[in-house]
Amino acid sequence: MTLTGMRAPHFELTDTRLANGLRVVVNEDHAVPIVAVNIWYDVGSRHEEPGRTGLAHLFEHLMFEGSAHVEKGEHLKLLQAVGATLNATTWCDRTNYFETVPSHHLELALWLEADRMGGLADSLSQETLDNQRAVVQNERRQSYDNQPYGGWIEQLQQSAFPAGHPYQHSTIGSMDDLEAASLDDVKDFYRRHYAPNNAVLTLVGDVDTDAALALVEKYFGGIPACADLVGAPDGTAPPVIGEEIRKVIPDNVPLPAVFMGYRCPPFGTPDFDALSVLSVVLGGGRGSRLYRELVLERALVRPSEEFVGAFDFVGGVSLLIADLHCAEGVTPEQAEAAYDEVVDAALRDGIADDELARARALLTSDVLGHLASLDSRADALSQHATLFGDPELVNTRVDRLLAPTADDLLRVGRAVLRRDNRVVLTYLPEEESA
Amino acid sequence: MTVLVPERPAAGEPRPYRFPAFTRHDVAGGTVIACHLERRPIVSMALVSRVGAAAEDPGSAGVAQLTADLLGQGAGGLDAHAFAIAGERLGASWFAAVGWDSSHLGFDVPSFAVPEAARLLNSALVAPAMIAEELARVRDERVDDLVAEAARPRVRAARELAARLWAEGTRYALPQGGTPDTVEGVDLDAVRAWHESRLLPGAAALVLAGDLTELDLDLVGAAVFDGWAGTGEAGGASPQAATGGRRVVVVDRPGSVQSALALGHLGPARGAPDEVALTTMQAALGGLFNSRLNYTLREKKGYTYGASAQYDMRRDGGVFVAQSEVKTEVTAPAVVDAVAEIAGMQAGGIRDDELDDVRRQRVERYPLAFASPRGVLGALSDLVVHDLPDDYYDRQRERIAAVGKDEVDSAAAKHLRLDELTLVVVGDASAVADSLGDVGLGPVEVRTDE
Repeated sequence: MTLTGMRAPHFELTDTRLANGLRVVVNEDHAVPIVAVNIWYDVGSRHEEPGRTGLAHLFEHLMFEGSAHVEKGEHLKLLQAVGATLNATTWCDRTNYFETVPSHHLELALWLEADRMGGLADSLSQETLDNQRAVVQNERRQSYDNQPYGGWIEQLQQSAFPAGHPYQHSTIGSMDDLEAASLDDVKDFYRRHYAPNNAVLTLVGDVDTDAALALVEKYFGGIPACADLVGAPDGTAPPVIGEEIRKVIPDNVPLPAVFMGYRCPPFGTPDFDALSVLSVVLGGGRGSRLYRELVLERALVRPSEEFVGAFDFVGGVSLLIADLHCAEGVTPEQAEAAYDEVVDAALRDGIADDELARARALLTSDVLGHLASLDSRADALSQHATLFGDPELVNTRVDRLLAPTADDLLRVGRAVLRRDNRVVLTYLPEEESA
Repeated sequence: MTVLVPERPAAGEPRPYRFPAFTRHDVAGGTVIACHLERRPIVSMALVSRVGAAAEDPGSAGVAQLTADLLGQGAGGLDAHAFAIAGERLGASWFAAVGWDSSHLGFDVPSFAVPEAARLLNSALVAPAMIAEELARVRDERVDDLVAEAARPRVRAARELAARLWAEGTRYALPQGGTPDTVEGVDLDAVRAWHESRLLPGAAALVLAGDLTELDLDLVGAAVFDGWAGTGEAGGASPQAATGGRRVVVVDRPGSVQSALALGHLGPARGAPDEVALTTMQAALGGLFNSRLNYTLREKKGYTYGASAQYDMRRDGGVFVAQSEVKTEVTAPAVVDAVAEIAGMQAGGIRDDELDDVRRQRVERYPLAFASPRGVLGALSDLVVHDLPDDYYDRQRERIAAVGKDEVDSAAAKHLRLDELTLVVVGDASAVADSLGDVGLGPVEVRTDE
């Protein structure tokens, strides 16, 4: 088949830097009177020191608690009162902060972001730290400790990477490390990572580029660069784990589940793109091999439109995940064996043209839908500028996903989807495992 | 030396804004509502039916969702796999979602493939395979879903609250997707009957949002409605309140490090005359980040990652519910604080600064809320489902901007009812049950029959 009719749009970008090193990317789009403001700081959980896991994410919370000219609670109050949607997220490689605002409130968003980029230090108090530490500990309880299967991501990261590797610990961090984080730790983290020369600011939407750049200069231009930025640690690791690591986890879960993690090439490489396409062939959408065999034909697992997918780590190696939630009455051994049969058959016998075409079509739709949204487009531009130094890569994202051939998929699949390269976590309902 | 601009900037001049223009016309016995959105190459298209789970007989709760599911499991001579492939090879993703008052069947699909997606949607509607073995599989999948969802403390709490607020044996006392028992009881005859008597073009419309420039919407509409006929009523749930007074229900989940709280009472149906005032109050109580519940429980006390409150307003009934997940050790104090915030709003009404923030937030968010195909699809669907006029959103924005403190305070006094609050706590009963006797919400009942 062809992809006639699905033309990837070309986004016109202005990509520049202030004297203090702040990289600024602007993409005008006047369809709707809104603008997405997105900042990536080149710091994530991989930058954390031993004994201080969770600090990057805890710090992200403190960015909402007031700065030089903004009271506690005011950041959210002011933005919500102009109709904005806003949030921030912390991941292994980075921390992003973003708000989409009606375009006549752009200046407010820039003022707030500049104030916390340059003026947080004196507002940080023990009281605020203690409050947000408690909030984050509750976030950990809510999302990990008190949720069925909530610990899987932490368990996979811990086992799939070598001891002390930057991706070996989760972004949420341990309760003990969160408890130990001091005001000095937090201030030091801010000083070493939150600086204009460690950030990318992207504006997408209803703005005039020149006027917007003048506003960025006005609000961010007076923030000095950091002279001793701390870069990312070395994430080099052997491409395969070298053994199959198996763990059984009895938990308060209703049905068994199997989570697998494979070490894989990092995001941003042609092999990662090939793996993305292979993931859709095997486990993406309702027409995938796994859906057909494990759901439609054999009813072994609960339906999923994403059985397989890779994390977007860039530091040396990444992690490909597969997860199978057993149907009632099915054992994890049955589900895993059936999964292995499907994957092994694909890698042994090859991938048909129409399977590849389906995967390409779904991925193209996915990327086009994603980039059509101003906020996800802004995030993608910040991402490519921060991680690869080039926001223009967003304009070739579809081409790169369409490039891998069926042979590429097999080559990368055979290198990654190996028994000696995976961690297998099996969750069992507590009463069954007792 | 850091130099920051101390003055908070003023707003610029807003661009005039109206809800995105859309067309509505009758084609081949059906209605097509279409909204062109610039630079949105992936179109959201759905057959939107006014019939949802509320219209189900309680004994066959889940039949609407099972019918929607089964329509996507093969149609027009294609089996389930072939049906999936037929859309996905064009980059189209199928969805089949049922709410209390509506059903949505359709695709997120690249513009160029909308005509083919329309033919697939038509075959699902008029020529579904309806195979008993497929139904058995889909039924098992839905039972597993219900069991898995109930294992999440927050969902479990909300379900238990509904079971306590609505009269036993009525539809709203059961989860929207039914229970394992009711779902197991739905057979092919029940699905066929639902499909033939309830899912009908007379109670539905085709809604499209996205880049429509190269599409002939008459042809698209004709393709979807071809060979499909019938009129149908939306149907309702005959809502009926539970009796027996307020109480505290602890659902025992031993070892829980948090307690999931659901605190609520029955509320108004959609379309109440004071709906704008009511939702304004709700935003200040438990909607915005700095709402009273979130500010006190999270930002002041650090008891939780978040706390919220909403009115779930359905066509013929509603629920007010405040929810939070709090550290086990502070369960009773968190409940006391939450009740105090609800009582404070009920008795004292909204503050001027809160009212100003909420009004501005709700007016200014319009261009954000209606920018994406899915956002516009949802808004246009509501016009269909709740029979609203075409100028509803622009008019509603004017009402939001004009709402006054007196109206909001009256809504708070009327629609927050302290003496009707029922509390459900999903958590470690041995750690929390005793302390909940003192929170002033009635007798404590512990459920351990999980």
